[in-house]
Amino acid sequence: MSSRLSRRAAVLGSLAAATALSGCGSPAARGLFGVAPPEGQLSYWNMFTGGDGANMVTMQEEYLRTHPDVRLDATVLAWGTPYYTKLTLATSGGAPPDVAAVHLSRLQTLAQADLLQPLDESLLGEHDLDPGRFVPTAVQKSRYDNRLHAVPLDTHPFVLFYNVDVCRRAGLLGSDGKLRPIRGPEQFRGAIAAAARVTGGYGGVVNITKDPSTNWRWFATLYYQLGGSVVADNGTRVTLDDDLAAQALGFMQGLTTSGLMPKSIDGPGVTSLFSTGKVGFLLDGEWQIPTYAGSSLKFDVVPVPHVFGPKPVAYADSHALVLPRNAEMDDQRRGTALDFVRSLIGSSVIWAKGGHIPAWLPVQNSAEFRAMRPQANYTEAARTAQYDPPAWYSGAGSQLQNLLGAAIATSQTGSAKPAQAVREMRKQLDKLAAAKPPVE
Amino acid sequence: MATTTIIDDAAPARTVATLPTGGRSDENRAGWLMAAPFLAFYLLFLIGPAVFGLVMSFFNTTSVRPGLGEAVGLDNYRQIFTDSEFWASMGHTVWFTVLTVPPLVILAFVLAVLAERVARGKALVRFIFFAPFVLPVTSVTMIFGWLYAAEIGLLPNALEALGLPVPDLLGEARWGFISVAALTVWWTIGFNFVLFLAGLQDIPEQVYEAAALDGASPVRTLWSLTLPLLRPTVVLVTMLQILASMQIFNQMYLLTAGGPGTETRPVMQYIYDTGFSDYRAGYSAAATMIYFAVVLIISVLWYLARVRTRKGADA
Amino acid sequence: MTTNPLDYNGRSRVFKIFSAIVLVLFAAVWVVPLLFAGVTSLRPESEIAADPTSWWSENFSLEAYRKVLDSTPMLTWYLNSFIIAALTVVLTVFVTSLIGFALAQTRFRGRGGVFALVLAGLLIPGQILVLPLYQIVQGMGLLNTYWAMVLPAVAAPIAVFIFESFFSGLPRELIDAARVDGTSWFGIYWRICLPLTRPAVAAVAIFTFVTSWNNFLWPLLVLSNVDQMTIPVGMATVASGFGIMYAQVMATAVLGALPLFVVFLLFQRQIVQGVASTGIK
Repeated sequence: MSSRLSRRAAVLGSLAAATALSGCGSPAARGLFGVAPPEGQLSYWNMFTGGDGANMVTMQEEYLRTHPDVRLDATVLAWGTPYYTKLTLATSGGAPPDVAAVHLSRLQTLAQADLLQPLDESLLGEHDLDPGRFVPTAVQKSRYDNRLHAVPLDTHPFVLFYNVDVCRRAGLLGSDGKLRPIRGPEQFRGAIAAAARVTGGYGGVVNITKDPSTNWRWFATLYYQLGGSVVADNGTRVTLDDDLAAQALGFMQGLTTSGLMPKSIDGPGVTSLFSTGKVGFLLDGEWQIPTYAGSSLKFDVVPVPHVFGPKPVAYADSHALVLPRNAEMDDQRRGTALDFVRSLIGSSVIWAKGGHIPAWLPVQNSAEFRAMRPQANYTEAARTAQYDPPAWYSGAGSQLQNLLGAAIATSQTGSAKPAQAVREMRKQLDKLAAAKPPVE
Repeated sequence: MATTTIIDDAAPARTVATLPTGGRSDENRAGWLMAAPFLAFYLLFLIGPAVFGLVMSFFNTTSVRPGLGEAVGLDNYRQIFTDSEFWASMGHTVWFTVLTVPPLVILAFVLAVLAERVARGKALVRFIFFAPFVLPVTSVTMIFGWLYAAEIGLLPNALEALGLPVPDLLGEARWGFISVAALTVWWTIGFNFVLFLAGLQDIPEQVYEAAALDGASPVRTLWSLTLPLLRPTVVLVTMLQILASMQIFNQMYLLTAGGPGTETRPVMQYIYDTGFSDYRAGYSAAATMIYFAVVLIISVLWYLARVRTRKGADA
Repeated sequence: MTTNPLDYNGRSRVFKIFSAIVLVLFAAVWVVPLLFAGVTSLRPESEIAADPTSWWSENFSLEAYRKVLDSTPMLTWYLNSFIIAALTVVLTVFVTSLIGFALAQTRFRGRGGVFALVLAGLLIPGQILVLPLYQIVQGMGLLNTYWAMVLPAVAAPIAVFIFESFFSGLPRELIDAARVDGTSWFGIYWRICLPLTRPAVAAVAIFTFVTSWNNFLWPLLVLSNVDQMTIPVGMATVASGFGIMYAQVMATAVLGALPLFVVFLLFQRQIVQGVASTGIK
């Protein structure tokens, strides 16, 4: 047949396409000639799906209502490592989005890799984003090398969910209908055991299978309560305290191997157990609130109780908005980007519906947010938030979470003794700390 | 038509008639000019990366910074050799290869032999087996993600209806490998099938006629006639398949993302994770070089095997 | 096709029937995923949620397709994939046939060495080298342009050998006659020899087009602007937002598969032959 025909068709086709689309700024023109994106277009990347995704879309619509002239190009990418890889490749390749959402636990690594624009206070001031009006803990975590590199959107701690009916029947509620404070390992275990007697099965649940981040969050909460730390000096020195870590793991293992909590369960299983009232307690991130909010389930959320130690500790992370480094971004474009950031921050009461604590104090202190339940129960967690330690391998969806989480899971399932799991954690940490950091 | 011609060896001594006009220098210049564009691409995009990768593997190169970074000698290699994650990912790649090569060679061969025998519908059969091969990998993984979906997928439901235990097809590493391997067989078998079919059609009819006259059974004909005659194609398909399976990344990345944890992560993804996600380009280059060497050895073995097969066929 | 007077299977009807049954069974297995994807994409989401494995619906509709086309830059991705694949084909066919001709029909000094060098390239497993290749392409400032996709793909030794073997088959007298007429070497290649190697051009063009169109890892790395992505990468990047909207996911899968599938329907014979002759590798 027509090899010549097809060749000719290909040549003609591509020429036609090229000429038809060489209108300035069309994607094809960008692809062929590397032309800059058109004015009035703002690209925004985030990783929010589900309830968060819907809330974010509403916030974007708020912005577009007041900025009808901007063509907002919002892209949702898969959460976790792929998101950061994509953001890194785009930025170092010279074609980043104008605005991106990131986790503050990742901020230092991103800033060290020179992927973020520093946001000086005067610049933020011009856009009504005075750093003094954000939760101080989050602002502190947004700094690198004494300069702000991010605008915090929220704090999202690891919390304790409880089923109101189960806990009432277990006699765990006070006269106000709220969970009575729980202190110390005995009380915590006792509360779960009481719930288990009511359900006739498990008393509580935490995700164990295929979710290293949750394994890590639950462990970190207890371990930090004991006063432990994992690494120091930007991840080059391991400070893991074997005894404290074994103590935390031993407590966690005691809950699963005693049958008070399942020792092998994945995400859907967790949701099913808690939503159908088969457990009284759930340890998870507050971002799961939308998962249960729509159902008939009566539940409430409180900070994770003080199992160990005197100080309140909330293992947490924050979402924040950044401007990836971009040589092509002029002041006007930067202005548009920061206006967009300001608009999202300003409408973060919508964001709070997803369970998150707004970082913007005017919203956090607003009557509307204060009336939100159960969010207002744990607002304090934003101030006592403890983030992942700074290191090139730490943060949301990082190697630290993946590798340590996997070791922690082996202890929770009962397949490894706490001391064995600690040895594995130390081995992984030693390897990471000894590796030459890719960015310093 | 479908010819599986085999290239001459290097430095072939072809007789070239003496030129009536022009001259040696003209021909020399023309030859080089016509070879130059390709050689430029070749050196830049094929030899270049191999050499540059080797250089990079001796440096603490960072993927987000320009330049090579600090020289670290053999440190990267020393670390790679004791990195259990790297060797685990090599193991996963080999396991995937073991799972996919036999069905993709044997099944493709059997189907091609059967297809060669049916009188009608040959074009339809060829269409059905080859069509998946032209689909983009993302379409394939989307479709199989839906077929495999726990509780609601077609496959778990079919297994349940048959009263069989329903495994966690994507969530458990053991099954994750099998699920991705099954997808790969479905997706790519058409390619091998077509190569075998082409090989079978090149076998002259008279060979079979002679066998039939001798009263050889179909199985015997297949075993002692078809198979030996098809040996070059079998070697070719097997080696192409090993090389393709050894480079597994796309389907695995899209379907299991190497999970649960890193239990199904192939070595290509290890390189991707360390080199791009963790910025450790130098370290990842060292991993690349080891992996590259392994695959190169297989390639060379294939080449030698092919040369031998050809000599055997000529003899 | 092969109706043979002395059918070698003639005396084994059983074997023939057995062959047909086995083939039909396998063909059925091969068809199920595609059909099921197609059916799912046409069912309303609510019905899928109620009965995910049903093959039928009272309300088949194209709703999911409309939603996908509205909410994703699918058409832009088609265009990107097409431009990239077309540029790659044109450049690859030209550059590789040129050197294929030089190797087959001219005797330049060092030809043996060049031949061996390109032959060695056949043994290099290309995809493995993405990391250093990325660094090189980044250094050249090509990231996020189509050229990052097109240029590296041209370095295809396999295409060189397909052309080399076809050009070698051309009679030497043809070239000598043209030389006598004073035609330049390029003229001989372009006007006389290239038009005679249509099957090789078709094979290389088809193979290059399909490979480029379906490439995944490389565009995942070098194209980060959503508007510049190709079909497979764009789908993988954006579709994660669909979550459990299975009709939309399947509609995306079908839309992504459609162009090449249609091309394949139209040119089945040529494509299959093209693939078979790349078996030279």
